[in-house]
Amino acid sequence: MSGEAKEVAGSVSNRAPSQAESTQWFTNPAEGVITAFRYSSAYLAVIAMVQVLLVTTALSLETTLAPAVVGLVTFAVYVGDRIADADTDATTNPERTAFIKRYERVLQHAVSLSYGLAIALAVLGGPVALAITLLPGVFWILYASEWLPSVTSHFRRLKDVLLVNSFVVAFAWALTLTVLPLAFADAPFTPAAAVMFVYFFLGIFVNVEIPNVRDAAGDSEIGVETLPVVLGVHRTRHVLLGIDAFTASVLVAAAVTGVLDAMFVGALLLGLAFSLTVTSLVGRTTKEELLTVAAESEYVVVALALVPFAL
Amino acid sequence: MAMYRPYMVPIAPLTVVLFATIVIGVAATLTAWRARPEPGSLPLVAMLAGQSWWSTCLVFQVQATTLQAKMFWVDISWVGVVVIPVAWLAFALQYTGRDEYLQCRYLVLVSLVPALTIVLALTGEYHDLFYRESRLLVQNGSLRIHRTVGPWFWLITGYTYLLGLFGGIPILSLLSSDARPFRGQSFALLLGTLAPWMSNVFFLLGFYDTSGLDPTPVAFSVSGVAYLAAVTRFRLFGASPSPTHRARRLVFTKMHDGAVVVDRHDTVVDMNEPATEVLGVSPSDALGSPATSVIPSYDDFPSEGALSTPLSIDSDRGVGRYDVSVVPIDDVHDRPLGRVISFHDVSDILRERQRLKVLNRVLRHNLRTEANLIAGYADLLADGDEAHESSLIKERTQRIIDVGDKGRAVVELFERDWSEVEPRDVATLLDSCVTDVAAEYPEASIVVGEAPTNASVLAVLKPVVLNLVENSVEHNSTDVPWVEVSARVVEGTVEIRVVDNGDGIGDYERRVLAQGEESPLEHGSGLGLWLVTWGVDIADGSVTFENRQPSGSVATVRVPNVSVPAEVQAR
Repeated sequence: MSGEAKEVAGSVSNRAPSQAESTQWFTNPAEGVITAFRYSSAYLAVIAMVQVLLVTTALSLETTLAPAVVGLVTFAVYVGDRIADADTDATTNPERTAFIKRYERVLQHAVSLSYGLAIALAVLGGPVALAITLLPGVFWILYASEWLPSVTSHFRRLKDVLLVNSFVVAFAWALTLTVLPLAFADAPFTPAAAVMFVYFFLGIFVNVEIPNVRDAAGDSEIGVETLPVVLGVHRTRHVLLGIDAFTASVLVAAAVTGVLDAMFVGALLLGLAFSLTVTSLVGRTTKEELLTVAAESEYVVVALALVPFAL
Repeated sequence: MAMYRPYMVPIAPLTVVLFATIVIGVAATLTAWRARPEPGSLPLVAMLAGQSWWSTCLVFQVQATTLQAKMFWVDISWVGVVVIPVAWLAFALQYTGRDEYLQCRYLVLVSLVPALTIVLALTGEYHDLFYRESRLLVQNGSLRIHRTVGPWFWLITGYTYLLGLFGGIPILSLLSSDARPFRGQSFALLLGTLAPWMSNVFFLLGFYDTSGLDPTPVAFSVSGVAYLAAVTRFRLFGASPSPTHRARRLVFTKMHDGAVVVDRHDTVVDMNEPATEVLGVSPSDALGSPATSVIPSYDDFPSEGALSTPLSIDSDRGVGRYDVSVVPIDDVHDRPLGRVISFHDVSDILRERQRLKVLNRVLRHNLRTEANLIAGYADLLADGDEAHESSLIKERTQRIIDVGDKGRAVVELFERDWSEVEPRDVATLLDSCVTDVAAEYPEASIVVGEAPTNASVLAVLKPVVLNLVENSVEHNSTDVPWVEVSARVVEGTVEIRVVDNGDGIGDYERRVLAQGEESPLEHGSGLGLWLVTWGVDIADGSVTFENRQPSGSVATVRVPNVSVPAEVQAR
């Protein structure tokens, strides 16, 4: 699961894609599917489903509809966010913006349908599952929507407030990823669940700030306060490495105290090592899109590490 | 009721249908949410959210296994139930442009009963106003809740139906709209509303046995599809009728002319703001009063059409002159209901006309008389040492007389009603103009070229062509000025060309004529070409000026051939 995922395709460019480039999505079906998967943020939905499966495994829960619900909600929220921010993303993400603009109508219907499906599936999981499923949507309104600031001048978009923006994203997703499988399985909130919540909260927080490094100049111009804007790239990298190190210590403590299975924690630490490597490259590479996707793929690494044990 | 055979609604299919209802309802809610701030979008969001909430609570209620839990979900579902009629009414008013009724205080007033309903539903254990008795039954192996309703249930039901009716009326009126999208929108909206409404009516009347389970949320699946169709297929938020209601009122209240509405008894029943200024009365004094006491000379007004002469009205802002027109108002059976009397201020036009008359007199009489006197005095000096100066004075005096004549011609151009003057045969008109100018300038070679027979133009073309020919001769520095005037018929129009070997018309002069107006810094050299431009304009034609090689100019005038019927010209 990613916090923000402000990736761009290839190198950063201010050039808008030509008509020929735009229509190539149609001419090559395989490439078209990959492009749609990438630019529509559908891959984030898959990562979110992997994260829920990790929780299901860690807490030894029965398999439920929770991964599907989280995948649908993730898809709806992120594509909705892409559509809402298409104009402001045009400079930093021209290719993605071109894709979103071109298929805006279809994507809007996809957003509505996927969130509707997610809510309906959550209803089958009971009231708590429904409430948890509604959380990302409610937080998105508080976080990114211009609606509340337009209704009252006392309210500022959380997206524009230092640290609160990353905290809100990390909290909303960590809560959804951790509690939804519990709600579906009608299981209690255990210390192991608390550790998984902390693990996701800190990991998503880091993932939110990594793309913010690339967007620092743009965010500064439009008044969005992020860590890179306030602290600079160098100090931000140190802060993020510190968070990763703290996460590792929490996981080790969970393994030592028996809250989580040691083997499972080993897989999580492997993913965290991957994350530390990615974080150490922040501000040191021009391949920022790759860096963002790599950071979000931490949980796929964990899942792959667990596969041999599951077989 | 005996004629209807009740059937049982099984749980599993019910859950499936409710699942579909929630999917469609939430999707439609998000679609409406994205349409903000289009009129009606937020109320529609509230209504769809209310429907989804009701459906969700029904699912939880069906899944609940205890009486307390089932009662809780029934009670909590009222939050969504009561939102629906209020949101529907708000939507209908906003969507049809009647948002003046959507002020906060009205909304609070309308929401009082629903708010009280929620309070009573959530405090049901302390009274029996809503439900008198609740029991758990086992039917077909499923647990069902059975509740005996109290008086408040019927009150909120009636209230809900009433708001539904009020909201349906303005939407219903759009079914007969000329605009196809509005007909489609209103049909989809009414279908989406009637489906759950009828379902609820049949449930309350006991037409089908659902074992106490209100099947209204099931019909919300129809509502969701209908509303989605209204949004996507009929562009609910892309083509909105909301401005039309207010626009009609705006036309009346904000129009420049004064307008008074009288009923068939000649009582003033409405008037706009300009009318109060024209008549010098306040609406409170005028409305309800006889028209004869408010409008001067009211008895002389025709029952329909325009008053033949401008009406003088003396009010606080002075004496105004108005063109008065009367338009009857009839009902659908062509029975008279009243009349609209409009007052178009022509005071300025009449003043301008008066000024032109004075100017005409000055140009026609005073200027020429004074110029002739100057020329006469100049003659006295002709035999002396100042013979050269005398010649110059006479030459310049003649120019003043010429300017005066042109000015007078312009005034006459605007004063005459050319449509009432008999049209002129084109060939005859060209001959006449050439003859007139040739007599004045005998040294010039002025010829008539090709000219059509059986083609006529408005008489206003006479001064136009005359001035073009004169201009060609006057602005010509060659030894023998040459001018050719010709005409031809081109697709229902007459094209008159005046070609000369003169000095041509400068770009600057043509630009000023093309702009149609002068300024102190940018102006033409005289009145002649302005007269041509205005005359052609009166004849509903066009004129272009081009220079020709090696010298000279070509003026091309295109005007309607009035010998051809108007409908043929239009083709």
